[in-house]
Amino acid sequence: MRGALALAAMLAGGGFACEPAADASRIAVAGGSLTEILYFLGAQDHIVGVESTANYPPEAVRHPSMGYVRALSAEGLLSLSPSLVLGEDDMGPPEVLAQIRRAGVDVVRIEAMQSAQGILAKVRCVAAVLGLQEAAEALIAARLAPQAAALAALAASASPSRPRVALLLGTSDGAPLVAGQGTSGDGLLRMIQAENVFGNVVGWKPMSAEAMAVVDPDFVLMAARGSAELEAAQSAALSPALRLTTAARAGRIAALDGMALLGFGPRTLSTALEIARTLQEPWPE
Amino acid sequence: MTPDTPMSADSSMSADSSTVWIWGLRRQPAVLVLLAAGLAAVVAAALTYGAVPLSLSHLFDAGADLERAVLFGIRAPRVVLAGLVGTALAVSGACLQGMFRNPLADPGLIGVSSGAAVGAIAMIVLGSALGLASWATPFALPLAAVVGAVLVTILLYGFANRYGHFSVVTILLVGIALNALAGVCIGVFQYVSDDGQLRSLVFWMMGSFGRATWLITIPVALLIAAAYFVLRRQARPLDLLQLGEPQAFHLGVDVKRVQKRVIFCSATAVGAGVAASGIVGFVGLVVPHVARLLVGSGHSCLMSAAALLGAGLTILADLFARTVMAPAELPVSLVTSALGAPFFLWLIARVRPQ
Repeated sequence: MRGALALAAMLAGGGFACEPAADASRIAVAGGSLTEILYFLGAQDHIVGVESTANYPPEAVRHPSMGYVRALSAEGLLSLSPSLVLGEDDMGPPEVLAQIRRAGVDVVRIEAMQSAQGILAKVRCVAAVLGLQEAAEALIAARLAPQAAALAALAASASPSRPRVALLLGTSDGAPLVAGQGTSGDGLLRMIQAENVFGNVVGWKPMSAEAMAVVDPDFVLMAARGSAELEAAQSAALSPALRLTTAARAGRIAALDGMALLGFGPRTLSTALEIARTLQEPWPE
Repeated sequence: MTPDTPMSADSSMSADSSTVWIWGLRRQPAVLVLLAAGLAAVVAAALTYGAVPLSLSHLFDAGADLERAVLFGIRAPRVVLAGLVGTALAVSGACLQGMFRNPLADPGLIGVSSGAAVGAIAMIVLGSALGLASWATPFALPLAAVVGAVLVTILLYGFANRYGHFSVVTILLVGIALNALAGVCIGVFQYVSDDGQLRSLVFWMMGSFGRATWLITIPVALLIAAAYFVLRRQARPLDLLQLGEPQAFHLGVDVKRVQKRVIFCSATAVGAGVAASGIVGFVGLVVPHVARLLVGSGHSCLMSAAALLGAGLTILADLFARTVMAPAELPVSLVTSALGAPFFLWLIARVRPQ
């Protein structure tokens, strides 16, 4: 019974925190954007393991891989002898996190916030956990704040008719998954002041060629994983799913690295700014 | 293939259960002792090896807190759970194959595994909407899976028992229909789930013993032990059933009662196992066949052999799954299916020509 209560207390304590960790010397990072943030803060020497979505910066893949972020292994993680496990709210399964806490290792969740200010807040939160606030403020002021400000300025000057954009996941074969309400893709589209043409859909959903033609987005963004998918996405305009859209006819399809686009780490700010600028350019009709 | 087809060369020999003992008496105890020794060796290996290097001689040194936490808190409940689930699947498979007199019967066939899967997946997708108290969350998913397994079993029993026809063919057909229905439910939940839930349920379907804690393992152990105890008592009636239902009836076997007990006990054992670890493929189908090759098809000996072999192989598969890619790990069902499916083909090629 005591065990049950202890476990319950640990699971209940799984909220988000930006408190300094007791010992942040050896960090197992469960989240691609968090890995990116550790490199951004110059704390990469403390990383002892990453998971499979950590692809940036390229040297991050040299750390031991803990597998997929939702299917972590308690013993595997402990074998890296971390002093701190840092993850986002998708880290799991919860039973494994409870096992890791019981072995005396700190597990800290960082809240994922899908907006420009959210990215800054996430960087500040990680910095607070590591005790690097001052260095972080300098880095944010130099590199992230100007981008966030530029995004805000673009939003203020945007024309009232927002560009109609579809954000797709996956490659050109078969029915692509579209980003609906509540997805990270929807968060990105709000960040760049675009209208999500699939805003009435909930979650990531497969969409037929006909539905795509009816909705007819002016611009299509594709999140790809790895260079092979990026290349495949280049020919997406010819795919049956997209061929009939205005975006395909005008060649307004862009494929971007999935983590840069939807990871909501520091990179997502620059990616969003770049897309927002492209969308603001006058289109040749 | 109809359920009345004799199982194989071995099972046709068991027409009279006493014939099993002809090539048995000296061989069977020896095989069981060997299997038990093998299981002990596998358990020792599984406790010793893992991502965290352990040295048994230094385990109780002052600074070895992490090592002790890993061994007693993570590895031990995991090994025990893997062994229990392997036993549950293999023994249920052996009894179901005996009851259906069909070599293809396994716990998946009567829809129990998919019923448990529907329960668990419903909890993954809809659980957050229930607003459960935090102390209840670790139990919610296993409980939902057990409820799913029990519901499917009741449906199966209700349909098969309608109009008084409790026949093996009806059970098989109803099982197939319920499996299809469960597939639809799983598909619907997959469609309405968000990205994260989808990933969670895909991994759940591939099975893992990584969520094992004593809190989960002990209730599962009690359920499986109870089911095993009842199944053991059906060994003699199951032997007689190999003669055919009317013959068994005339030899004094209450056929319907045996069938009900086998179905409900298999559902309990498998439901509890699936609840704690997700779907673990092929153990329930292949292990009984191997056990039958080793000790013949007398059900008493067969159940012991299947229990030892199922536990040993599942623990071994889990050991492989958690060490081969450490610190990451493979879903355990990938390992059991990758081993089980080719082995099953080999078994068919070996047995059929005779």
